[in-house]
Amino acid sequence: MIKELLHKQIHFSQLLFFALTSSLGLGILLVVFQLFIDTQSLFGSSSDLLSNQTVIISKQLGRDNAFTKEEIETLKQQEFVKKVGGFTNGTYRVKGSVSIMGMSSISTDMFLEAVSDRFIDVDDENWNWSPSSREVPIIIPKNYIDLYNYGFAPGAGLPQIDQNLIRKIPIELNLIGTSKREVYDAYILATSEKINTILVPETFLNYTNQLLSPDKEVRISRIIMEVVNPSDPKLLDFLAKNKYQYFQSELLSSRISYFLQLVLSIVLGIGILITILSITLVVTNINLLILKNKQTICQLHFLGFSRKQIANVYLAISYRILAVSIIIALVLTVICKFAFVPFFENLGVQTSTFSLVYVGVAAILLFVILAIYYTKHTHKKIKQMTAVNTSLLTTEI
Amino acid sequence: MTIHIQEIYPTYFTPASSEVWSKVFYLEAGKTYLVKAASGSGKSSFFNFLYGLNNKFTGTILFDEKDIASFSETEWTQLRRQKISIVFQGLRLFPELTAMENIQLKNQLTNHKTEAEIRSYLERLDVGHLADKKAETLSYGQQQRVAIVRALCQPFELLLLDEPFSHIDDVQIDNATQLILDEITARNATLVIASLGNSYNIDYSKTLLL
Repeated sequence: MIKELLHKQIHFSQLLFFALTSSLGLGILLVVFQLFIDTQSLFGSSSDLLSNQTVIISKQLGRDNAFTKEEIETLKQQEFVKKVGGFTNGTYRVKGSVSIMGMSSISTDMFLEAVSDRFIDVDDENWNWSPSSREVPIIIPKNYIDLYNYGFAPGAGLPQIDQNLIRKIPIELNLIGTSKREVYDAYILATSEKINTILVPETFLNYTNQLLSPDKEVRISRIIMEVVNPSDPKLLDFLAKNKYQYFQSELLSSRISYFLQLVLSIVLGIGILITILSITLVVTNINLLILKNKQTICQLHFLGFSRKQIANVYLAISYRILAVSIIIALVLTVICKFAFVPFFENLGVQTSTFSLVYVGVAAILLFVILAIYYTKHTHKKIKQMTAVNTSLLTTEI
Repeated sequence: MTIHIQEIYPTYFTPASSEVWSKVFYLEAGKTYLVKAASGSGKSSFFNFLYGLNNKFTGTILFDEKDIASFSETEWTQLRRQKISIVFQGLRLFPELTAMENIQLKNQLTNHKTEAEIRSYLERLDVGHLADKKAETLSYGQQQRVAIVRALCQPFELLLLDEPFSHIDDVQIDNATQLILDEITARNATLVIASLGNSYNIDYSKTLLL
């Protein structure tokens, strides 16, 4: 009966407003959360397009264009630089030979470089080498494969190769140093869009440099660095002042990546803001529902109804509306997910329905957290309202 | 339940000297008391102190020698369900509920009376035919009788009636006092009636001038 009594003073329009604000806030939060999960792979280390913002710099051509230790230290101390790594050269001549499809081997002069693993955009457990290893893994620029597939292979009547096939090509590396020469078996582990050189593991290069040309000094002629914001004028000023050279196009794609990250952060920020606002509205709505019934609530309490019994009437309403809002928000999220798919495909992002599981878990968590919050808030309000001396009843002398 | 009142004095208004304020006295089980005073001298405040709605007073009130200032909100709720019943001066019926719903709202807390009993009480006070009418459609005198029946629909050891018969005719006052006295005797409860002057033909154990 207490339920019917309190319900009499609650209007449907009020509950509808409650449900709408709640659905809007939760909907935006879940949609943004979903977007966030689906775009994670864009910012992961395995993607080239939007991976960490890196810039490769070198000095102008000349007699001595190696970076000194002091110069590297100075770079590390700049506030716009997150990480710095040097490219190490092989200090020996390299002859690589390959035999494709049983044809007589093709042999070419080449070179090897290494860079710290932190900068390599290939995540593969085989990317390592020790003197006991049988083969040396190599990473080559993706351009090389494209040149072969679209330029060389069609003209020479050779088959095109893909990432899997490329690993099976046996390569023989003939390393001729000042004091020794060695032959190693190698294979192409992967291709990179980010680093435009032929890479071997750092351990291999250090080992062979020491073994084959112990008398030669190892020089760092190019530096790769991870920066906070590739458009930072301080960075560009610094590079210009020290006459360091960099690839404009590389910086451009880094800028696009930075811009996209910025846009996503703004979307997330606005989403959270709207959610907070809508939760504030919902709480104000609960306050209004309770305040409108102030007299009734006081009278019920002083008749012998506990605060808990009274709060439960309002909580039952809040929980139901919260549950309905969460369901509406989930439906919205699923609709948005499928609406976003074509855009993600354009960006080359693989979306999976598995992310909906995360969204589901987030929705349950949200329900629990908000339900606890509403419960506490409702109890607090009813306690305030029915406190001794503040009651409407004590106005009688 | 024995109520021991020790020199209570309201802190938010200054009452005239009386047999209640700043005095030590007992309200004992099975006895009836009349608190007689002019309007505005603090009758409702005294009742509110006893009912735990207001604690703006100095001095001490003890229920069975336990200081009521120490009661938690839960203990007060239990007291209001099991030990103390009240008819407010302003009645505090819910206008949107019928007379019967108003009474059942209270009765369902303890299921103290059956619906037949409630109806017979209403009949005794000549408002039985109004049981299913909304409280807001009843006259003040009829509402007072409904509020009296509501107050009887719970276990109690102390019954507080704040000017309960102000709008009821003499015949119905006699009916009501008889019903109330029957209940008080059956429960060995304490009755405290506040009145502007009329003593309603009840033989009080004590009259307190406020």
